[in-house]
Amino acid sequence: MKNKLFASIPSIVFGALIAIAPHTFAYVCKVEKMPMACHWTAQAEIGVGALIAVLGVIALFVAPQIRIGLNIAAVLGALLAIAVPTVLIGVCPGAMMHCHMVTRPTLIVLGVLTIVFSAIAIWLDSRPAKRV
Amino acid sequence: MSPHISLAGLPLENLRRKPFRTASLITVVAILSVAFFGGSMLAMNLNKGLTSMEERLGADLMVVPQTTESKAEALLTDGTPNTFYFTNDIESKVAKADGIAQITSQTYISSLAAACCAEKLQIIGFDPQTDFVIEPWVASQYDKTLGDGEMVAGANVNVSTDGTIELYGKTWPVVAQLASTGTSLDNSVFVNKATVPQMVAASAKVAKRVMPQEYASKAVSSVLIKVQDGYDAHTVADNIAKLDPQLASVGFVYPGGVTASTKTSLNTMLSYMLVFVVVLWVMGLIVMLAVFSSSVNERKKEFASLRIMGATRGMLISIVIREALITGLAGGVIGVAAASLIVFPFSGYIGKQMQLPYLQVGIGSILGMALVALVFAVLTAAVASLFVAFRLGRPEAYLTLREGE
Repeated sequence: MKNKLFASIPSIVFGALIAIAPHTFAYVCKVEKMPMACHWTAQAEIGVGALIAVLGVIALFVAPQIRIGLNIAAVLGALLAIAVPTVLIGVCPGAMMHCHMVTRPTLIVLGVLTIVFSAIAIWLDSRPAKRV
Repeated sequence: MSPHISLAGLPLENLRRKPFRTASLITVVAILSVAFFGGSMLAMNLNKGLTSMEERLGADLMVVPQTTESKAEALLTDGTPNTFYFTNDIESKVAKADGIAQITSQTYISSLAAACCAEKLQIIGFDPQTDFVIEPWVASQYDKTLGDGEMVAGANVNVSTDGTIELYGKTWPVVAQLASTGTSLDNSVFVNKATVPQMVAASAKVAKRVMPQEYASKAVSSVLIKVQDGYDAHTVADNIAKLDPQLASVGFVYPGGVTASTKTSLNTMLSYMLVFVVVLWVMGLIVMLAVFSSSVNERKKEFASLRIMGATRGMLISIVIREALITGLAGGVIGVAAASLIVFPFSGYIGKQMQLPYLQVGIGSILGMALVALVFAVLTAAVASLFVAFRLGRPEAYLTLREGE
């Protein structure tokens, strides 16, 4: 039960945060005339975050071996969540812009935390079962 | 086949078999390390920002229009862009005062938000012939004379890939971009005085004109003065005020004083931070002492059994200390990693919120401080365990084992 919760709850929480952060507390620039890169990053992160959260939900109902696979997928999803604001789409280049100063680091930190917790979950699930 | 546990692997096995106790101890050390490493990095970055600000303030005295002193001070520290200027020729009048070694003037204009997705910029017009504040700094990164219509951009200015910037609907070439200073100068662009009227004309085409056209070629926002040796900036300010009744009402800013007041607020903040870290550390040490004591107390029979199996008192002490060292190291690594996740990615945001010059220190200093934080975490855990370790093995092993029967 402990391993199951560890393999699912962090993914659900961090996935949800990745999806909602760019639209709420770590907001991106407002669209005025033309949507900027940060706007598309925010849109893409809804999908990436939702994917990680759904993987976490599925992990609640499956066997440990499948949970390992789901957490490997969550790690890859988190790498994507980091790559979207840094490499693939990016944010506004101005260093003092909110999306540059807050949104991008927030997504990087959430991505790193997802990777760390998923890696721990993989390690917990891959240990041999305790002898009675 | 049962797993073989050697004496060397015993501390790790003990920690693994008591996951809750181990996790609690690691959490305590991690919290201490976050406070120590995070606090130290903030202090180092603030100090570097202050040093950088001192290097950028080459003038002893600034003469600014009446009631604009705070705007001029904000320009030196970390403020929002502003437009202010004298409406008469002030520089030649001020130059007559006693005690002036060097004099130059600058014009400050606040831009509209530059192009898309950028914040307002401070445009600083300076005279490359007389300037002694910005020119030496610009010269360190751009060795030619700044031409009319050309710009030098601060570190945070968003320069497009073709080396231009769009301001007031016009594209301006950027000939150099300066290194970060941690002050609002990073959000500024520097132009020569002849470019200022071009900017004013451009502003009139896209929005409200930033200043009337008749002032565009002669507007001066501040006169910067380097005083002669033996003169004090305040004395020179008095001399200026006495020159002309018109000059009696101008504002004076003392960059040295701005640095001193920034240093004072920085020191106050650092001392609060230090007290907080020390209090947290002492509390952490007490908590760890309590946990180690209770743990050793409840493991008396375990240690007595080890004694009967032939372990010496030194071996028992070594087991307890090694358990503490592993806990300290794990907590230290987690703490440094957690603090790094906040301090480095959010460096720009922290600097903006603090309203103080904030400049990230180099990788060498960061690694050095991380190492110090780790050593500190390990030592704290070791010290906490040492207090209880020496109580081990004192009672007779046989009596301890039979206790309670």
